[in-house]
Amino acid sequence: MSDTVASTLDRLSHVPGVRSAMIVDAEAGVPVASELGTGASATAVAALTASLFRRTDEAVRQAALGGLGSFQLETEDGHLVVAGRRELIVVVVADRDAQLGLIRLEVDRAVEALQ
Amino acid sequence: MRNGPGTADLQRWSEEVARDPGSPSFLPLAEAYRRMGKTQAALRLCLRGLERCPGSVDGHLLLARIYLELGERERAADEWAITARLDPDNFDAHRGLGFFHLERGEYASAGRHLERAALVRPGDPAVQEALAVLRRHLARSGAASQTAATANGSEAPVPPPPEARNGAGSSAPAAAAGRAETAAQPGATTQPPAAAAERGEEVAQPPAPPAAAESVETAPQAAAAAQPAAGAATKAERSPAEAAKVPGAGGRDPARVFEPLSREAPFLGALLLDGRGLILAGSVRAGGTTRSEALGAAVGPAAEEAARTAALLSIGRWRGILIETDRALLHVSPLEEDLLLLVATECGTPVGWVLRTAERAAELARRFLAEGVV
Repeated sequence: MSDTVASTLDRLSHVPGVRSAMIVDAEAGVPVASELGTGASATAVAALTASLFRRTDEAVRQAALGGLGSFQLETEDGHLVVAGRRELIVVVVADRDAQLGLIRLEVDRAVEALQ
Repeated sequence: MRNGPGTADLQRWSEEVARDPGSPSFLPLAEAYRRMGKTQAALRLCLRGLERCPGSVDGHLLLARIYLELGERERAADEWAITARLDPDNFDAHRGLGFFHLERGEYASAGRHLERAALVRPGDPAVQEALAVLRRHLARSGAASQTAATANGSEAPVPPPPEARNGAGSSAPAAAAGRAETAAQPGATTQPPAAAAERGEEVAQPPAPPAAAESVETAPQAAAAAQPAAGAATKAERSPAEAAKVPGAGGRDPARVFEPLSREAPFLGALLLDGRGLILAGSVRAGGTTRSEALGAAVGPAAEEAARTAALLSIGRWRGILIETDRALLHVSPLEEDLLLLVATECGTPVGWVLRTAERAAELARRFLAEGVV
């Protein structure tokens, strides 16, 4: 794991309310690095979120809205934030009452750092 | 008589997979986990194995079966499609795809795959029954419904496949879907039933008796009404004419439902969509061009994928999706039944404003829907 990836992941995983943070290879759908909470499987989360990101990216491109920058899913129990521009995407699973503003800011920083 | 793999087998496969996740042992190990009810473990093994061995036909078939057990039909269909590309004469893939499309009311695709499956295995009773149902329905629905379906840009509604109809009277949609899935599972009929039973493995349900099939086939709407929350099946059974009844028919222009919001600068528009991505109300313009149709088509699959991901990550049901692209910020939320609401704003719009606007758009959409209820 490179220093950039390690420090990015460390920073993300220490944001209050963040349950899991991962850096994922968007094309292969495999985890590059992860800090996962209990019960989560890095492989499954990486595969699912990469697929979600790719498909949404294809869909918005077909709608002539440009490339996908980020995708934020709000659910009953939490939030899934996925963002990226190139091969690597940043994935964060956060608690329902987490400070989303702070998380989004850190995710944006992480994406920039990984460019 | 052997009742499945022993501890020594499991240990050996586990060790081999631990050393190399792409080892051929991922298949029997994943299958063993699946039979033990450890579906998530089986899924992980399969996904990891296929990352290393993307050309494994058996791996994709097993993954399709696991997805079916998880209720992930679209993903199962993806795996069958991959299998069919890898092995164009694969009976299980074509049969699975045939039933999948039949259940969604996609006649042409269903016919294509079922015919292909019948060519590979002419004597399969489930495929023959499905083809017979398809032919009878096509003959009965006649030119009128086909014309209407073509005009609506979709295929005509179709009764669920024989397996799904077995569960038509159930008050538990998930259970009914499970029965349908078991019957459609490609692996379920690849081995002789006796041998499968010997291993304690589930065996494909036989097709519905013709009499039962006939009775439900003549009343697909009644079957749909019996399962008000049957998800995909309900969606497939709702005819375009019924869908057209949903929006307010009180003389308002559906395209202008969200007009009160258009006075605010970042607002590009909003759409009320049905479960098939068809627009019920609203419009979206971006860069001087109407984007409604393209967005409508894009949003449905994205929402489905999001719902599947949320379920598999065990983070509860989805409530909203915020999508940031180079040119717009989109918010998608479920409204009622299988309706979706999309709000589009300019790129860079504050997220909090978008969420507030989405709430206001939802109020307008509900008012519009209420006006349409007679």
